[in-house]
Amino acid sequence: MKEAVFDVFARKERGDMLQHIGYVDAMDAELARVYAWKTYDEQNWFEMCVVPRAAIFPVNRTDGPFAGNATGRAPVQGGQP
Amino acid sequence: MSGPVNAPDLSEATRAALRRHVLSLADSKRILGLRYSDWLLGAPSIETGIAASSMAQDEWGHARLLYAMLKDFGEDPTGVEHDRPAECYASVPALDEPFADWAAFVAAMVVVDGALATALEGFAGGRYEPAQSRVPKMLAEEAFHRDLGLAWLRRLRDGSDEARARIAAALEAVLPATLAWLAPGDAAFQALVEAELTAPGADLAARFQAVYGEALRAGGVEIPEPDFTGWDEARGRGAGAPSDEVVERARGDRNRALLVE
Repeated sequence: MKEAVFDVFARKERGDMLQHIGYVDAMDAELARVYAWKTYDEQNWFEMCVVPRAAIFPVNRTDGPFAGNATGRAPVQGGQP
Repeated sequence: MSGPVNAPDLSEATRAALRRHVLSLADSKRILGLRYSDWLLGAPSIETGIAASSMAQDEWGHARLLYAMLKDFGEDPTGVEHDRPAECYASVPALDEPFADWAAFVAAMVVVDGALATALEGFAGGRYEPAQSRVPKMLAEEAFHRDLGLAWLRRLRDGSDEARARIAAALEAVLPATLAWLAPGDAAFQALVEAELTAPGADLAARFQAVYGEALRAGGVEIPEPDFTGWDEARGRGAGAPSDEVVERARGDRNRALLVE
């Protein structure tokens, strides 16, 4: 069975910014949400979401964890070191 | 429904039935936690192992809260938790032996944990004040157990022929005795229902069917009639007892010198 990467975002309080707090490998979104809740349970989160990494498109980088979805367009100016 | 009640408010027979109910829930959760913990390092992925670890901790936390309800009966829960022999445990029979494979783990997540959550829903909706106040948080945690169980059930039933056969066999093995545990229908359970301390057995069975019936049928498993063979009214479960090995762990025999309450 093939697993995909799901990135995990959470906020501690209503009104806080969602923060990227990690990722899980899972076969589908239903498993990903349980794995995320059970893995990143060190905080009493107000809200947690999972996003399939395949749905995240890099805007200004061609390296890093999201590079797999790079569109091939030129990076936004200033994005490269 | 009248207002909330505590154990001292009840007749002797109803109080005994309530104590059996609390103990059966607590014992089931303690043994289920141990059975989950057996798979922390043997689950199909790291994430699943972490989830198993978290669920094991949830179950032990729920067990502690449930054992603590025995104080309402004038009992010290310490002896109940740490000094009983296996034959006194009132846990669900499906937990008597270790899970033979991952399919058995998934079947327990769906059927046993599902039956426990269903029983707790009925308990929280009754008049027993400690259940009204303590069980809702347990049910919030149980929602993730249900989701994980159903997700894994779907994965196995949609997988290989072997996976499909194993999960069907594992479900069929645990369903009849677990359904008997969920809705006993004996005098003690009827006393609980009449005192409005839990939902009627037919309601509990219907709730279980509503949540799990479709997923089970999709896996080729029909919900069977409950099996009351060897029914032990004193404990509220079928014949048998959890293995000595798991009861030694439940009691904490090896850590006895370090016991801190």
